[in-house]
Parts: sequence; structure tokens; C-alpha cells
Amino acid sequence: MEEAHEVPPHIRLGLSRQRLISGLRTMIASRETDDRLWLLNRQGRAHFVVTPAGHEATQLGCAWAIRVGHDYVVPYYRDMTLVMALGQSILDILLHAMARRDDPSSGGRQMFGHFSSRRLRIVSGSSSVGSHLVHVAGIALAFRVKGEQDIAVMGLFGEGATAEGAWHEGLTVAGIYQLPAVFVCENNQYAISVPVNKEVPVPNVATKAAGYGMHGVVVDGNDVFAVYEAAHQAMERARNGGGPTLLECKTYRLRPHTSADDDRRYRKSEEVEAWRARDPIKRFEHYLVEHGIITHDEIEAMRREVRAEVDAATDAALAAPWPSIESIADHVYG
Amino acid sequence: MPVMTFLEAIRSAMHDAMAADDRIIVLGEDVAVRGGVFLATEGLLARFGERRVIDMPIAECAIVGVAIGAAIHGLLPIAEIQFADYIYPAIDQILNEAARLRYRSNGDWSCPIVVRAPFGAGIHGALYHSQSVERLFTSTPGIKVVIPSTPADAKGLLIAAIHDPDPVIFFEHKQLYRSVRGEVPEGIYHEPIGKAVVRRSGADMSVFSYGLMVHYALTAAEQLAAEGIDAEVIDLRTLAPLDRAAILASVEKTGRALIVHEDVLTGGIGGEIAAIIAEHAFEYLDAPVRRLASPDLFAAPFADPLEDHFMLNPQKIAAAMRDLARY
Repeated sequence: MEEAHEVPPHIRLGLSRQRLISGLRTMIASRETDDRLWLLNRQGRAHFVVTPAGHEATQLGCAWAIRVGHDYVVPYYRDMTLVMALGQSILDILLHAMARRDDPSSGGRQMFGHFSSRRLRIVSGSSSVGSHLVHVAGIALAFRVKGEQDIAVMGLFGEGATAEGAWHEGLTVAGIYQLPAVFVCENNQYAISVPVNKEVPVPNVATKAAGYGMHGVVVDGNDVFAVYEAAHQAMERARNGGGPTLLECKTYRLRPHTSADDDRRYRKSEEVEAWRARDPIKRFEHYLVEHGIITHDEIEAMRREVRAEVDAATDAALAAPWPSIESIADHVYG
Repeated sequence: MPVMTFLEAIRSAMHDAMAADDRIIVLGEDVAVRGGVFLATEGLLARFGERRVIDMPIAECAIVGVAIGAAIHGLLPIAEIQFADYIYPAIDQILNEAARLRYRSNGDWSCPIVVRAPFGAGIHGALYHSQSVERLFTSTPGIKVVIPSTPADAKGLLIAAIHDPDPVIFFEHKQLYRSVRGEVPEGIYHEPIGKAVVRRSGADMSVFSYGLMVHYALTAAEQLAAEGIDAEVIDLRTLAPLDRAAILASVEKTGRALIVHEDVLTGGIGGEIAAIIAEHAFEYLDAPVRRLASPDLFAAPFADPLEDHFMLNPQKIAAAMRDLARY
């Protein structure tokens, strides 16, 4: 709770009412869509779900720091809230999950969670953890080669990725050349079942920044304002020639890693419940109500609207055409 | 037309292509100030500056991965892996990332990079400076694998690779760098990727090869010509995609096929070529398809007699050709 005399963070950060409400809608849309995907999975209609649940504040705060269609974003498989905040619709997400022809991320080729849009400058990734951070360095290098200023790239990953060689190489190059890149660690404390103390040899991932000659920042990843403030500063620093940042957002995954995981095998339900009580969406809702941005009734109305949209998008995605068999070998070569 | 070594032709390709298109960059270990350990990139830094000619840390995954990222934002990067023996840390980037970027994004993104790597034995490079690794890249779609044998091809194919919309792995045999000279056109030109050429026309057998082995095969073919055996020597130039039409056309004419490569026998491209011939030209064959390759070892050992034994040479190729002719 801030002191009474403190300026509320949304005012201090210049976030408009419209932006806050739209952000809340994105969070709710993400959670409702995730709920639906798990349901569809259990019904045997969606083969695979990878959840962003619990990461919504981290991803929304990062999305707010991005100039959509201008800055590049290189996400990982948990970034559904992020890409929705950047402009992918509920229907886009469902078409991707249902692997339909009009899936904007991959045309039904990649399993769920591999978000991509050239229009939005969201870069397609593989499933190899950490392999995309070298691409982040390369995109940032290209800005410099082309003499482009006032632009930056953000790459996102879980803390598990920080053990990968490609992660190290990407940050090494970004640090050596002081590239306009922001590396965001969504630290949810588990790499599937392996806890963070067996993935990262230091208490904070951000500590590693010192070894790469970049800024290291740790924030509460369930506080959308703290994330936005740090991400915005990092992106601005990058855009202005101040070099790269490693931003660590501490958060928690509220569901199993994917629909193929059973998290009861490696973490206690009390731990999950304790974090559920700190659900970033509830926290954001509480803040907005407390500051008179929106009422409970308006939030419930918003949730009903979103659910109706999810229902309609589910029907549309299930009725949408599959990719044609004839297209299976398209785009192997240009 | 100027006469150049193979190495000078490679260098000329990069100079001419970079002068014509400022999207082209070069990155790798020692490529800028040093001009490359073989001097393939000599003069590029002075001419094009440090923004476009970039010394990288010893991080092969990053050399290729940064090239991929730069291509994503519209550049045409040429990544140098100092020796093909060190390409392994970059294999995930090449096969899982570069090769698949277009396909996995349904055509939304593409990855027009070139990965140059010197390869091959016979220079006392031992286990980690003389490997042939092309077999690791010829079975993944989405990438092209080019291995030139002449200076003119080296330049024309490298420029074609730079301008190609897809990732191209470009292997340069180290022994060719300074031992082979030839006329090389000035300026920008393309040799087509995916097209083999007939280096010596013949009626009695087809010898398929690439890189340094093309030269050895030509020497062997001249020896056999003196013995009354008229061999056709095909320079494949591209291993992926293979020029199936040229392979089959030659075998249909000669009825005999020998595939020669420095890469190891098991899993080498020779097996694929033999299968293509067996499937599609069986009726034309007068003899079994033969392969001559390096033994199934890691690379040439350091000791001179072991290296000599490991390496193919014109005599070994000539013997295999005689054997095939006698069948």
C-alpha cells in the first residue's frame, strides 16, 4: 500500500484511464482464453496448452513498454498475454491453438504457444529454450548497421533459459556491442519441475547482468506498474543508446507447465494456493477499483463480454478450415 | 578476364556484393581486423567499416544466431565459421532456427543468411581442423548446401548464395584456397544453386563429386583416358538440393556410376545419390553403383602416414574407376 501522500503509480507513470482499462481487459481476456483452452484440451479438441496464468502482470507491463509494430518482440511460449496486448485477438489465439489455416502465427504448423506476426514485429520462435536470445542480439545489431535510432528489441524467456548456452551467447554479444536490447526474465521459479535453485546459481537472475556489462533490474512481476516502469526505462535506455538491460520479473505459474504436465508431482498445493492469493489480475482489479478507475460491476460486465467473445471465437475457430493437404510443403524454400 | 586463386575469388565475391548492396554484412571470428585466418575477408573492414564487418567472440551459436536476427530485420548476413569442425555449437541455430523460420511462420518471416565454413583434410589439420561435415546438413529441408570447386564457381555461387532468399551453407575446401587458379569474371554474377555441371564429358562411366575431389577425379579421368576408358566427371556444386536431373541424365548415358567424396562413407551424400540412381535409373545400369569415400573415421589423423592413408587421391580414384569399368 502506498503512503497517502504518494502519487499513485498510474499517475506517476502517465498511464491513461483508457490504457488501464484496456490493459485489464487484455489480462481478463488472456485468463478467460487460457481457461477455455484447458477446457478444450480436456475435451480432446485442443492438443496442447501452455499457460500464461500468473504471468499476466509481467507480460502486460512489458507490452506497455513496446511501441507496437515499431520495436521488435521475440517472445517465448508462455507469452500469450503479451501478444494479446500487442494486438493478437482472442480469435487469433484460438485459431493458433486449434491449428487452423488462418492461424496468424504459423498457419497451423506450430504447436500452441509459438506466437508470430511480422506485422506486429513479433518474431517466430522454435521450442528450443533460450535459442532466440541470439536473434535478439542480431535484430539489435541490425538497427545499428542500418543506422536506425529510437528503436529497441525485447526478448523474453523463463529463468530456465538462463542456463542455456545460447542465452549466454546472446547476452554476451549484446553486452560487448552495447546493443539496444532488453532481456526480460519471467522468473516463475520452476523449469517444469526443477526449482530455481537448481537452475540458477545466484538468488537473482538479474545479478548475471554484471557479467554481461548490462543493467540488471529485479521487480515484482505481479505488480504491473513496477514491471512497466522498469521495462519502459530499459526500452528507453536502449532506444537512446544506453545499452542493454536484463530485467527480472519475479512471478509464479498458477497452472502446470503445459497440458501435458502434472504439477502435483513437484510442488505443494499450499504453495500454489498462496500464490493464487497474490493473483496479479485480482491485484490489478483491486488497484483500479480502489483508485476509482473502474467499479466491480463494470469489471464483471467486462468479464461477461470477454466470455461472450471467447465463446464466439471458440465456435469460429472450431468451424474454421484446416490447412489444405496441398499446402504441407509450402514455404520450405522461398 | 582476371585470373584468381579460389581464395581471391571468395574474397572478390564479398567485396563486389558488399559494394553493390549495403544490406550485406560479414561477421565471424577474426574476420575484421585480421581479415580472417585464411584472409578470405581481407580488406573488407577498411572498405566497408566496422558496422558491416564485425569481429565476434568465440561463440559459434551467436555467430549464426546473430546473423539470423540481423536477417529478420532485413540484412543479408554472411557468417563465417572459422573451421567447419567448429560448426557444431551452431547446428541448433542452423537446423532448428534458420532452416525452419519460413516454414514455421507460414511464409511470414524468412532467413536469407550465408554460413561460410572452410572444410576438408590434407593440410595436416588433424581431427579438429580437417573435418568434412556436409552430411550433417544435407538431410534437413529449408537450407541449401553449396560446395564449389573452381574460382569462377566460388565467386558466382557465393554471390548467388548471398542473394538467395534461403539460408545457404557454403563450404570451401581449404586445399583449394591457394592451389587452384582460374579465370574469374569481374563484378556481380550468379552461378545457379542446385545445378551440377559436366567438367569432363565421357561415354563409359559417370563420376560424381564436389569440391577438391572434382580436381582429383579429373586427374584420374585423364589417366583412364590414356587407358581407353572415357569417363564423365560431374561437379555437383550443390548437395542440397541435389541436381537429380543431371545425375540421372549422365547415368542414363554412361550406364556406370561412381560417387567420390571426402566426407565419410556412412551417411555421406553418396548413399543418397546411389539411391536416386537405383530408384530411377536401374534399367540403364551396366554395373552396381560404387562409392569411394573417406573411411568411417572422425577426420584425418595428425600423423603423416595416417593422413595420407585417410585421404583420397587421384590414384585411389583411378583404381576405383578401373574396377568399375571392368565390371
